[in-house]
Amino acid sequence: MKSQEYSTPDGFYYTRDHEWLKVEGDVCRIGVTDYAQKSLHEVVFVDLPKLGKVSRAESLGTVESVKAVSDYFAPVSGEVVEVNEALENRPDLINLSPYGDGWIAIIKPSALEAELVELMNSKVYSEFLRSLTAK
Amino acid sequence: MALKTQLFQYHVEHAHMFEFAGFQMPLWYEGIIPECLAVRKSVGAFDISHMGRIFVSGPDAEAFLNHLTTNNVAALKPNHAQYTLLCNSEGGIKDDLVIFKLEERPFLVVCNAGNRAKDLEWMTSNTGSYNVRIHEASNDVAMISVQGPRTARVLQSLCEGVDLSSFIRFDCRPVKMAGQECILSRTGYTGEDGFEVCIMNSTPDKPGQALSLWSNILRAGRELGIKPCGLGARDVLRLEAGMSLYGHDITESTDPIEAGLDFVVKLEKGDFIGKEAILRRKDEGVKRKRIGLKVTGKGIPRAECRILKNGRSVGVVTSGTFSPTLNTGIAIGYVQSMYSNMGERLSIEVHGRLLEAEVTGFPFYDPKLYGFRRVQ
Repeated sequence: MKSQEYSTPDGFYYTRDHEWLKVEGDVCRIGVTDYAQKSLHEVVFVDLPKLGKVSRAESLGTVESVKAVSDYFAPVSGEVVEVNEALENRPDLINLSPYGDGWIAIIKPSALEAELVELMNSKVYSEFLRSLTAK
Repeated sequence: MALKTQLFQYHVEHAHMFEFAGFQMPLWYEGIIPECLAVRKSVGAFDISHMGRIFVSGPDAEAFLNHLTTNNVAALKPNHAQYTLLCNSEGGIKDDLVIFKLEERPFLVVCNAGNRAKDLEWMTSNTGSYNVRIHEASNDVAMISVQGPRTARVLQSLCEGVDLSSFIRFDCRPVKMAGQECILSRTGYTGEDGFEVCIMNSTPDKPGQALSLWSNILRAGRELGIKPCGLGARDVLRLEAGMSLYGHDITESTDPIEAGLDFVVKLEKGDFIGKEAILRRKDEGVKRKRIGLKVTGKGIPRAECRILKNGRSVGVVTSGTFSPTLNTGIAIGYVQSMYSNMGERLSIEVHGRLLEAEVTGFPFYDPKLYGFRRVQ
């Protein structure tokens, strides 16, 4: 298999389950990482989260390829206030632009300062990916 | 330590690999979707060397195989193959097979990769007074499947002196392909027209011949857009065709009647293992039936999801996928017989959500547009 490179842009926070979070004023945009979309390959369905309260690490839904199903989890607690409805007809946006048009939801966080400490920055996450792929 | 097929070196350089039935196999090369579409629209090539190949010879070979399997081996013409089932004495399905009858040669039995050891053991333990010789040749023969409407055009250039249009579906014959001794059959597991090639005398330790024929096939098909295809596409294509996958849709606890495979059970042919039990089940009527379900909205059913009618559980999904040909979720499953009629509306529970679905026949696609019966 060809060796893979994974994009881990600066300015994003990352989880060990391969979600990303970007702070935008008083809300957070979330999605799944380049590593997640490359592992799933052709995304054909995204089960979007319901609007309303969520706790950190709670399952928000699934991202699915032809053969695989992957849960994604809330990187922080708060309230889902918006979901990316474009994914309903264009789930492949997750493959084409995981950190851009392939975003999944916007969360209004309730304990952001305490919970951000638990997340990785770009440098730590890319080291984490190296440790996974070195296996 | 996972097993390798003769084509392992090619796969490891080009594919996303996974383990299947103990083998390191390609899941996909470019992607499951383009590989499926290549087979439906043009042509694709699969390594199926992981499957089991058992030769049965001797004066009683035909009677022995007829005693073991549900289809009528005695009705099989030379140079023809048949789909059939191996059942236990309770009528449960031990495996599904293709038996090749080759002129003046032993019968060739092709079985599922995961059942290699089980089938060999079952055959050996049931020889009784039959004068037969059973020879497992899985590791001495490589196998490539080339599938899709343009398959014959691709393979014709590699078969000197043989007119492939003379092969009707399920015909099989020894042929030389690109100079190598092969058994060629017009068979497959995708619903499309296609051929399967057994490459004789090719072991995983000496894969040169198999690798060379594989690259010859890919080269011959290049202009028609041939794609190497992984087992991901193979599974989706067989599901779209409504074909059962052993271990999922058929097991030792399903019988041929409820699985809808009675077209390969020949009750008039004489005694065979499982016949009494199958007759009994047929008389009693089956409680559940294998059906196709097509999702009418968004969402993808998966194996083990519950099937419901008005909130009550009436069955279970045994295989589910997204269908690239139909652009929707499809599933094979079992439901109580009263809910198995075409057009019946049922729900499938997927991660706590209910998907609306409709019972459909097989294949899932329109046979006038896709598959070996398509209107050209």
